[in-house]
Amino acid sequence: MFRRIAFTALRKPSASMATSKSHSPMEDAMRRKITEALAPTSLEIHNDSHLHAHHKAMEGSVSKETHFRVNIISDAFKSKMQPARHRMVYALLKDEMAMEGGIHALQLKTRTVEEDERVKGN
Amino acid sequence: MAACSLIPVTSEDDFNSQTAALPPTCLAVIYFHAPWAEPCKQMNTILTTLASTYEITNPPRIAFFSLDAEELSEVSETYDVTQVPLVVLQRDGKVVDAVTGTDAAKVRGAVEKHAGSSTGGNKASLPPAQKVTRPAAEDTAADTNGTTHGAAAEEEENLDERLAQLVKAADVMLFMKGTPSAPQCGFSRQTVSILRQRKIKYGFFNILADDDVRQGLKKFSDWPTFPQIYVQGELIGGLDILKEELDNDPDFLKPFIQQPQAV
Repeated sequence: MFRRIAFTALRKPSASMATSKSHSPMEDAMRRKITEALAPTSLEIHNDSHLHAHHKAMEGSVSKETHFRVNIISDAFKSKMQPARHRMVYALLKDEMAMEGGIHALQLKTRTVEEDERVKGN
Repeated sequence: MAACSLIPVTSEDDFNSQTAALPPTCLAVIYFHAPWAEPCKQMNTILTTLASTYEITNPPRIAFFSLDAEELSEVSETYDVTQVPLVVLQRDGKVVDAVTGTDAAKVRGAVEKHAGSSTGGNKASLPPAQKVTRPAAEDTAADTNGTTHGAAAEEEENLDERLAQLVKAADVMLFMKGTPSAPQCGFSRQTVSILRQRKIKYGFFNILADDDVRQGLKKFSDWPTFPQIYVQGELIGGLDILKEELDNDPDFLKPFIQQPQAV
């Protein structure tokens, strides 16, 4: 239990040290929810919004948190097929994805500890 | 090579001259519809998609025609059309098969039986899929449901039925933003590129051209994003899962690779 809290604290962006509001509310919410629900051994969240900012679909958008690439390693995915795993993540982020100016695109890699080790060629 | 499209025929003369121009080996897929019949919208989409998976060849192997059964009443009489939608398959002037109702698999099965399976067409520059807007106060004459459980609920049921057929319109069905020749989204474009690279035969639907399908499919698939890939009526997932499966499983989608056609 303590270890999980420590893990979260270590990964939080340093912006939280200041007293001003976070500049990445979407990313923070994602990190918090995924960590709480899936207890991942590894969680990488990459914000790719800047790569899509000029695309037609993003015309008129002011958010800088629209496109994310997320890599999750967690044994919560064990014995679940890929669509089921992605759905778990979608369910967690349902509100963020549904809101106006929220998450527009989500690239997901969902692996168990064993699968990740296999892929890394161990 | 361009892909076949569903050709609307507007007069009896037009129908006669078009079919007369076909070589005797060519299969004519003749679709009778009526604008007031709800199920016809669905069949329209199914046939347009099916047509798109066949490449135009010279001489033509297959041709798809769409006829308003009421307007072309003489033609309807010739084919003894008593209900719509109806798909008649004809070769060398002789009827070889006929399919009623909106079962996409049944129509595809009949077409493949007589014409062989499709030659591809994923490079098609097709018209976007039919736009079906919510009808204002349309007379659902074809609807036999007598209960009054509200127009909205009924429409959703019809949409669900339509989607259930649409996802089976081809063995590999891609619901994307834009078309394979003009993708409107980077992820959709990557998906098309991967399928093309591996020579996988697939049908596609442009969800930007039909908002009902776009929103309905999110619920139907329980999947919030596009592109969506269906294989034999089952959702595989999006681009990420497609890539993952192809990387990990050498047999993934192998049965759907285009075999080179004999001339």
